[in-house]
Amino acid sequence: MKNLKHIFIALLIIVISGLSSYYLEPNNPIMMTISFLIIGFFIFNLIIRKTLSFKNYFTSQYNLLTTKFRSEKLYDIPKELMFEKVIEVINNSNFKLVETDKDKFEILAISTITFKSWGENLYISFEAEGNETIMKFCSATLFQIYSWGKNEKNITNLLNEIESSLII
Amino acid sequence: MAIVVNLDVMLAKRKMKLKELSEKVGVSTVNLSILKQGKVKAIRFSTLDSICLALDCQPGDILEYVE
Repeated sequence: MKNLKHIFIALLIIVISGLSSYYLEPNNPIMMTISFLIIGFFIFNLIIRKTLSFKNYFTSQYNLLTTKFRSEKLYDIPKELMFEKVIEVINNSNFKLVETDKDKFEILAISTITFKSWGENLYISFEAEGNETIMKFCSATLFQIYSWGKNEKNITNLLNEIESSLII
Repeated sequence: MAIVVNLDVMLAKRKMKLKELSEKVGVSTVNLSILKQGKVKAIRFSTLDSICLALDCQPGDILEYVE
C-alpha cells in the first residue's frame, strides 16, 4: 500500500513536470512570485528550525507544507534517566542535537540537508507514567509536502539505537 | 524481575560514588544508573569484568537471583 502511494506521487510529479512547458513562461510575473515565495518559505524554515520555540509551527497539522510522522514508545525507565539516555544516544547517532529543555523534558534534534533529503526536525517529549516513561516522537520535514518514508525510517533507526544502547 | 542488581550496595560498601565508578569502568553514569535500577536489557561480560575489577568483588556480589 505504501509503495503504491509512493508510485502515485512519483507519477504525479512526472505529470506536473511534463506539463510545466505549458504553464512556465520566461519572466512570467506569477511564476516569479511563486518561485520567490517558495524560496522565501524554505529560507524562513531553515532559519527557525533550530529552536524548540517553533515546535508547534513545524508539528501543527495545519502546516500542510511539512510532512509529519508521529510515534510513541514506552520504556520502564524513569523520565529523568531516559532523558539523559536519549541525549547520549542522539549524540552518537546521525542526528544532531540542537536544543534540550530539562524543565519541559523536550529534545530537538535535526538531520542535515543532503542530496537525498531536505532535512528533518525530530521533536522528542517525555511523559512520566508511574516509574515508566512514554516517549513521544514527532518528525517533521523541513520543506517537503510529501515524505518518502524517510522520517519513519529515521525514527525506527533511532529507536533501534536506544534499544541497543540498553545493552551495556 | 528475578535478577536483582546490588550495585548500589557494593558502591556503599566500597564508599565509592557512581561517577567514580563510571570513570574507572568507562561506562557513562546514565548507563550505570540504569543498570543500578536493573533496567538494562543485558550486560556484557567485559562490562561486568570491569565493574568487578573496580569494586574488587565477584559477579555474584552485584547480581543476585531472587525467586
